[in-house]
Amino acid sequence: MHGLFRWSSKWWPGTIPLAILWGIAAWSNTTALESDLAARSTAVLKDALLDKTQITVDGRDVTLAADAFSEDGRRDAMAAVEAVPGVRLVNDETRLVPEAKPFIWWVGRDVVRVTLGGSAPLPASKSKLAEAAHAALGNVEVVDQMNLSRGAPPRFDDAALLLIDQIGKLKDGKITISDNTVSLSGMARDLGGREAIDESLKNLPEGFSVASDDIKAPPYVFQAYKDPVAVTLTLTGYVPDDKVHSALVAAAGRKFFSEKVVDNLKSSVGAPSGFAAAVGPALGALSRLSTGTLVVSDREVKLSGDAFYDAAAVQIRAGLGKGFPQGWQFKADISVKPAQAPVDATVCQQLFSDLLAKGNIGFQSAQATIDSDSLGLLDRLTETALRCPAANIEVAGHTDADGEDSFNQTLSEKRAQAVVDYLVKAGLPADRFTATGHGSTQPVASNDTDEGKAQNRRIEFVVK
Amino acid sequence: MTYLATYHWGWLLGSLLLGFVAGWIAVVHRGPGVSKVTAGWLSVLAAALLAAALARVIPGRPGYWLDLGLMMFAPYLVGCAIGSWLRDRAISRHPPAV
Repeated sequence: MHGLFRWSSKWWPGTIPLAILWGIAAWSNTTALESDLAARSTAVLKDALLDKTQITVDGRDVTLAADAFSEDGRRDAMAAVEAVPGVRLVNDETRLVPEAKPFIWWVGRDVVRVTLGGSAPLPASKSKLAEAAHAALGNVEVVDQMNLSRGAPPRFDDAALLLIDQIGKLKDGKITISDNTVSLSGMARDLGGREAIDESLKNLPEGFSVASDDIKAPPYVFQAYKDPVAVTLTLTGYVPDDKVHSALVAAAGRKFFSEKVVDNLKSSVGAPSGFAAAVGPALGALSRLSTGTLVVSDREVKLSGDAFYDAAAVQIRAGLGKGFPQGWQFKADISVKPAQAPVDATVCQQLFSDLLAKGNIGFQSAQATIDSDSLGLLDRLTETALRCPAANIEVAGHTDADGEDSFNQTLSEKRAQAVVDYLVKAGLPADRFTATGHGSTQPVASNDTDEGKAQNRRIEFVVK
Repeated sequence: MTYLATYHWGWLLGSLLLGFVAGWIAVVHRGPGVSKVTAGWLSVLAAALLAAALARVIPGRPGYWLDLGLMMFAPYLVGCAIGSWLRDRAISRHPPAV
């Protein structure tokens, strides 16, 4: 032992090469050791719930900067890095992700892109939402502007995924989650899109509610065009369902007695309330025009065209809006067709007969009230009467053989008078017309069938 | 510690061998040794450095270099002790011819 002390006093010369060796070791190992520690620290944090993780190693000291989503997560991450063999110290530069209050997340859509913004609770849900937006919207560009924040309501991901599905149904708009309320605004892509979104919102996860729903639907358009040259009535646009569809086409067939009805209508949900009640009378008004267009857009009805004569134009302008359901608006742009050249009595008679061969003036059953479906025909007859100012015209009423003769006689007279009254109201001089009734005495068809009876119930115009 | 030893085993072995050579030579070296006072101061210095390393007061790379130096110094001392002891035994068995 004594020898060891003695010898040790002469060990110092070896420290000089030792120092050199130390220098070389430090020079060659420092960077390698640092990258090894960084790699292994990163590996232990692979599954940790952190954002913006940044590991810097200086010698054996690790600086851990990261955003954690809970106090526990932060502590666990620190402990994991401290436990990495070879790490001497861990400098804690972690922080908790800020808490958002209220927790707001939104998805917005404009013409070219979909933007996700606001707060997402975790990196996993952030990427899940962005992926869902890509999947739901196909080729549309998706811009992810989401931040990460704490404080998301429970089942946030489910709610957000459901709403991302809805943004596909919008042309433009924004859907926002604020804590656990949902607000929607914008314009639906298709008719029925708004209803589809409303239906989907019923599947929002428990705890979520809709605070405001300002989704607008594209205008619900119905159009009818009366073409006097092609003698057609073209119906385009939308109707609520098959029932309304067939009812409207049938009504058009009755009102447009000489035109062929071209039916290009499609069924779609999203019709404004009172659609059928407004479109029916509007079609009636169109039937009184020589040429015209009816455009129904949401609750606005626009009728433009030429009436057959002045009084008709006034009547249409004044009369149409009255029968509309509440909230409907009516705009009429009615001009009057230029008066046609006068004709002599023979031609006049021919014109009357041609018109009455195509259609029959209808009345309410057993009454002398003119059926509104016949106003189009009456206006055409009035126009013809205006073309032969010199002619005196007998308006003759006929009935079928049902009921008593005296009743039928009176009814035929009253009906003929009702037609004359209509003509006089249209501005024709009363003294040119005589109303006569023939009851069922001059049938033109058998009174045994319904068709025959319908032909016998008629008004005839006889030019004298 | 185990990690550092494993990572630098080559350098530690080198230090051990260097110590062995230094110890081997020290037995027959005729030059001046370190005085007791200097040895005392050097021990104090070594203890201070060791304390600094254990307390982790030197940050970053210098801290690592200190750890590495101390880790290399330890096998050097062990090598010196073994070298001197073996040389001494070798000399006593075969005393040099006077």
